[in-house]
Amino acid sequence: MGLVTRKKLFSIMALCAMVGLLLLPIVMSLPSSAAGEEAPAADAAKKEGDKVEKGRDVYYKTEGIVVGAPAPKTTDGPKDYPRYNFESRVLLWFANQQHLYYGSFVLAVPIFCMVIEFMGVVTKDKALAKRYDQLAYDFIKISLTAYSLTAILGGILIFTFLTLYPAFFGYLSSIFRPVMHIYALMFVAESGTLYIYYYGWDKMKEGFLKWIHLSMSVVLNIIGTLLMFLANSWIGFMMSPAGVDEQGRFLGNIWHVIHTALWNPLNVHRILGNMAFGGGVVAAYAAYKFLASKTEEDRAHYDWMGYIAMALGVAFLIPLPFAGYWLMREVYAYRQQMGITLMGGLLAWLFIIQATMIGILFLSTNYYLWQALGRMRGAEKYQRYIKYLVFLLVCGFLVFITPHTMVMSPAELKAMGGQQHPVLGNYGVMSAKNGGINVIITTTVLSFVWYMRGNKVSTVSWSKFGNIFMGVFFACAYVNIIWLAIYGYYIPANVRVGLSVPQVATTLSCLFFMFALNGVMMKGAKQMGPIEWGKISARSQYALIMLATAFTWMMGLMGYIRSSVRLFWHVNEIMRDNSPWAYTHTVGFAANMISFNVLFFWVSILFVFWLGSLAAKKAPVEAKAGVPGGAPQPAGSH
Amino acid sequence: MGNLINEALSMGWMVLAILAGLLIYFQVSISDPVAKKRATFKTLIGIVAAFLLFVAIANYKNNFYGENRLLPVSLVMITATAFVMALYFTNLAALLKIGGFMFFVAAFLSGYGNWLPQVEGGFPPKEEKLDFSSMTPQQLADEGEKIIFGGIGQNKVQGAIGKGQCPLCHAFHAGMLGERAPNLLGLPERAGKERLEDPKYSKGNPSKREYAEKESFPGAGTAENGQEYIAESHSCPSCYVVSGYGVKGTNDKESPMPKIHKPPISLSLPELAAVDTWLYVREGREAPSYEEITKSYEKFIPEAERPKMQEDKPAAASALLADGSEPVDQIFAKAQCVVCHTIPGIPGATGTQGPKLEEGTNAPNRIKDPAYKGSAHSTPEYIMESVVSPSTYVVKGFPDNLMPKVFGQKLSAGALKKIVDYLSQVKAGAPPPKIS
Repeated sequence: MGLVTRKKLFSIMALCAMVGLLLLPIVMSLPSSAAGEEAPAADAAKKEGDKVEKGRDVYYKTEGIVVGAPAPKTTDGPKDYPRYNFESRVLLWFANQQHLYYGSFVLAVPIFCMVIEFMGVVTKDKALAKRYDQLAYDFIKISLTAYSLTAILGGILIFTFLTLYPAFFGYLSSIFRPVMHIYALMFVAESGTLYIYYYGWDKMKEGFLKWIHLSMSVVLNIIGTLLMFLANSWIGFMMSPAGVDEQGRFLGNIWHVIHTALWNPLNVHRILGNMAFGGGVVAAYAAYKFLASKTEEDRAHYDWMGYIAMALGVAFLIPLPFAGYWLMREVYAYRQQMGITLMGGLLAWLFIIQATMIGILFLSTNYYLWQALGRMRGAEKYQRYIKYLVFLLVCGFLVFITPHTMVMSPAELKAMGGQQHPVLGNYGVMSAKNGGINVIITTTVLSFVWYMRGNKVSTVSWSKFGNIFMGVFFACAYVNIIWLAIYGYYIPANVRVGLSVPQVATTLSCLFFMFALNGVMMKGAKQMGPIEWGKISARSQYALIMLATAFTWMMGLMGYIRSSVRLFWHVNEIMRDNSPWAYTHTVGFAANMISFNVLFFWVSILFVFWLGSLAAKKAPVEAKAGVPGGAPQPAGSH
Repeated sequence: MGNLINEALSMGWMVLAILAGLLIYFQVSISDPVAKKRATFKTLIGIVAAFLLFVAIANYKNNFYGENRLLPVSLVMITATAFVMALYFTNLAALLKIGGFMFFVAAFLSGYGNWLPQVEGGFPPKEEKLDFSSMTPQQLADEGEKIIFGGIGQNKVQGAIGKGQCPLCHAFHAGMLGERAPNLLGLPERAGKERLEDPKYSKGNPSKREYAEKESFPGAGTAENGQEYIAESHSCPSCYVVSGYGVKGTNDKESPMPKIHKPPISLSLPELAAVDTWLYVREGREAPSYEEITKSYEKFIPEAERPKMQEDKPAAASALLADGSEPVDQIFAKAQCVVCHTIPGIPGATGTQGPKLEEGTNAPNRIKDPAYKGSAHSTPEYIMESVVSPSTYVVKGFPDNLMPKVFGQKLSAGALKKIVDYLSQVKAGAPPPKIS
């Protein structure tokens, strides 16, 4: 048997092992879902005749046989809430947030690797393909160190739950017992797959074997995503419980408990959020390496890496507000009161911070792109228009962060002479705010289009017509978005809500049609000069760091909002929080806590980066192989 | 500041001592004068930066739970420290600058969060199951006062109102005139005598009654004593209407009062017992026992219609009549607007004691009226003004001070907004707007 054939065989076996690992938890769970929970109850029912107790599902409204104990009614004391001389909730907040940061990072990075490795496989330019491959390898190397930290933090989180909130965790694990075991098995599968994927990299870098390797990344990501979905089911249950009766007794249907009202929107929102966050972290890593680089080659490599990571992160940032909109709509559909607490009640000011953060993210992205124009010959022609984009972005931002309906005390209401501020309130109307954010996103799309054609001149025969068409299209889009924002003032609130649809449609049209048209126009375009990777200003790298920090901060903020909307319930309307901390902190305290979490995460991840750099130093030959010498070629992504 | 420095020193003395030790070590070990000078300078900078860092940490530690809005200043100090150190430790410059920049971003966001209005969600209402049946009369009366006025000792406070919403229409003290409903002072005595002896009441013979309803439910009969009269008037207000207090245009045949055991008020029998007990106790009278009162209600409220005591629902303890989460028709019902006003499109809103609310048409005309002295310039502003401050402009033909002035306090901002949005769309001759 030849060497190549043996390698092939081993690779296929490894892939089969991964698929087997993926299926393992499902196979293990079959007995429990087929008969597991309901069967004993049914048997017991037969034995005890009429003593069967039935309950009604609080969400699905179906009847089921009660198989679980009611949610415990806790009391403030060492039995239900043992504690140190510190607020237990803050300790849990810290442990949870750190685990989530690392968890998101290690789930997002393999998705990047998959995308980048795929780009490497399909790219015809061999040098570029090698660079993509090296980049994907660098990414997975970073995530490997972070992976073990994620597991450690997960352990700390469970111990924190067990020691500080035993009654609550006991109840949650009694309901999710099979899910938690499947979760643990999935984690084993994830680890196994990740190690095979990482250590098999060099052995499977050519031809058919590369495709097998790529397939492994798909399996790895499926496992990772399922892992996250299972974890999401716990928080979904805490926010919008299902599968239990009014007393919190489990009714035997595990799918109902998992598939709660908010599970799917949470899943989608979290995948996108993780990707944007992962992009931010990798971009920050590249920025750090860029700023610390001593050679031109290193600067070129990390400039390119930062750009790719930023572009991937932003690609997932753009649909994130729409996923958030869906989640919020489902929250309103589930409990209107919950939606009002979020958007117009106790937590409304936090959404003002969120709006500011979104503004900061888009401003940073645009700033980076404008700086990036500086490393292209021929892009000078766009520089003079940047001031107009700044004007549009700032106007959109100011309108977007203006509050409209806030919870007020009667005294405040009287002082303001109405529910809204007499002048500013007008800018905060929903259609105007939608107008603001859509102007921001459309301007970002425009910046991207400029960046993509920075050093190129279209050679298609209809380029003049194409340019005019694009200009008119963008102008009409701005007019339409702004006109609808103004029109919203003249129609009642319930009709006004509907204006968001044409506004969003306009923005998405710009995104898809203009990117596609630009792509067609720039096919075979004349290059004014190569992109001079590494020649970007140091300021641009701070924009990337800003992006990463803002992503991290926003993730902490939104997680806090999502969790605190339950107010004084461990499990909404089922299990009350009777600890001394069953109140909602002030905005200021939350902001301080989020900052602390963000900084702790970054200090620790910088340590991880540093560890990664130690490993790189030990294998200089291998690592250098993929780094391009001389002037790097432009990446195929633009 | 002195305290901060002390704390910083006590926290970081070991690090500072090590740095000082290094300083001495460099003096002894480095012979090259240039290298020695550089090492000394860097170590001094290190000592200053480390000290600043510990001052910042001490500040952060002290104010972790406080509302000190200068707290982010400590983060800015850390930023400054990082950038200063980056100037002198070039090997770590990138790391220090990035760290400093991240600290700055976090400090800015923390500062922003602290600058915004600080709203803290209070503790949830205590989870308590009240057992009204085992209470003393005074305890029961206290609970009754809470239900009527929202709190103990609140009965003389202008605008105080509880779950029962009674003060929206009734007055409770001498000299106070309730124009929409009788003053309830002296009711326990009046009920058993004047009311039951009134021929229109038709004691013992409900079929002779000339009111909108003859009996609370078929076979319920009429009251035999004062307590039963009170129970009947709560559960069937239109079985007997005190002269002058009927719905306009019905010749006092129909009462504007809702049935108290039904939505939106839905008081349970124990709660009604508490309310009635307060009516007796506050006048120094001996109240009937809890059992007697509940029995009187059982006579007029069939079992299927008796609402249960709300348990484990702290939301019910809210002092607001409506929080804005309800559809607008429910807000109108909960705030009792429907009792006095006709509102097109709102089921049951057929009251005539106040003007018909077609504000999309009326408001612009009223703002133009020379008699109008308010500050509204638009229809929504006018509606908001007339809800929050009804006496600012009183529509001709309707009395002033009839409408309570408590809605600004008793409706959430969201509920007020829904009312304004709805009413501004109601126009004379046009189909009513959709309920949202």
